[in-house]
Amino acid sequence: MSTLTPRGALVSYQGHYAGSVSRFTAYAIDLTVSTAVFTLALAAISYAVRIVIGQDVTWNRSNAVVAVIFAGWQFVYFAYSWAVSGRSFGMAVLGIRIVHADGTILDPRRAILRALVFPLGFLLFGLGFLGILVQHEHRALYDLIAGTAVIYSWDARAARLRFLARQAEMPEVGNPSPAGARPDPAG
Amino acid sequence: MMRCTGLAATFVLPSTPRAHPRRVIPQNPVPGNTDHVDPRDRLRAVGRRVTDPAEALAQEVTERAVDLLLNALDLNELISRIDLNALIGRVDLDGVLKKVDVDALLDQVDVNTLLDRVDVNTLLGRVDVNTLLDRVDVNTLLDRVDVNTLLDRVDVNTLLGRVDVNALVGRVDLKPVLDSVDVNDLVQRVDMDALVEKTDLGAVIARSSGGMTTEALDAVRSQAVGLDQFVDRWVHRLLRPKKPWPPAPPALLPVQAEP
Repeated sequence: MSTLTPRGALVSYQGHYAGSVSRFTAYAIDLTVSTAVFTLALAAISYAVRIVIGQDVTWNRSNAVVAVIFAGWQFVYFAYSWAVSGRSFGMAVLGIRIVHADGTILDPRRAILRALVFPLGFLLFGLGFLGILVQHEHRALYDLIAGTAVIYSWDARAARLRFLARQAEMPEVGNPSPAGARPDPAG
Repeated sequence: MMRCTGLAATFVLPSTPRAHPRRVIPQNPVPGNTDHVDPRDRLRAVGRRVTDPAEALAQEVTERAVDLLLNALDLNELISRIDLNALIGRVDLDGVLKKVDVDALLDQVDVNTLLDRVDVNTLLGRVDVNTLLDRVDVNTLLDRVDVNTLLDRVDVNTLLGRVDVNALVGRVDLKPVLDSVDVNDLVQRVDMDALVEKTDLGAVIARSSGGMTTEALDAVRSQAVGLDQFVDRWVHRLLRPKKPWPPAPPALLPVQAEP
């Protein structure tokens, strides 16, 4: 079964509510990036302590202090990126962004509120994320509390032109699809 | 005749009693007798003998003078000295055009022959096209003309071959024309797929914006959107919502309008 939408409708998704796969993929990227940065930061601190004091410092993730610092870092990572541009690094990769529930640009206060209530999605055994699947505007619990929504924001029309241009430059033989499936861009 | 008769009566026949002048004019003249004439007729006859040659002479002189005048006039020079723009500026073109049955007029004109005899470039060079177009209600004029019939009668290729299109376009103020065109609507009607596929535009776009990162991002995003739609379809099958879900936030819905 094809997992892609009809060719003509693809370019019309810019501004539509983003779906679950895009959002979870974006979060996975963000989690990976933020954890990597956090780990690098801890390693840098350990190195500095060893240089200055001459003792090795080991960080245990089960340590409450480390957990609190990690939670604080996560809050800063998401709150800052959402407040500044309405999207985090993972969201930028997937071409989605956060807006007000009515579609207008997100203001920093709502971005910070969203970052504060974002853990509710996990604390309620994952039920907080269920709204992304079953709510008619694809809004999770923290979206409903913060009055936000997530939409596709990438320029699908330009992407489609790029795709057609690549197709025009490629020879007739061979598989033109970069991903092995029909590569129509959408947004 | 009458005088001779009188003299004969005096000298040849002396014994004959002298006729009284009153006898020349009979008391009861007989109709048709040419010997008895009204004296005013004599005056008229004399006048006619003088005026007839003079009139003929005057007519001949006039015709000769007109011929000389026409031969001396250079019509082309005369026409070249007429300020066509000023002349056109004084004419109520709309009023004139409303009174003219343009179709009937055009039916009687051999347009091709007419166009063959006109130096179109020279004519256009002397006319301020923008001013002329400003004064004509083109829509009303076109409504009254059967354009198809007119075009059928014109050899467009020949006509265009004789027009210096670059010079003509160079004199037209395109800005008002472009201001009246809804470019966005025009672009929306362009089949971009066909355009890219049939021209070298694709290669230009590929060279200017192509890149491994961009290509990878396009692929990831399109796959993600496809999977989003796939999941959504299954959710809809399970939930069977009574009303269709809104596709976008209210502020973004008008932007999403797709033909």
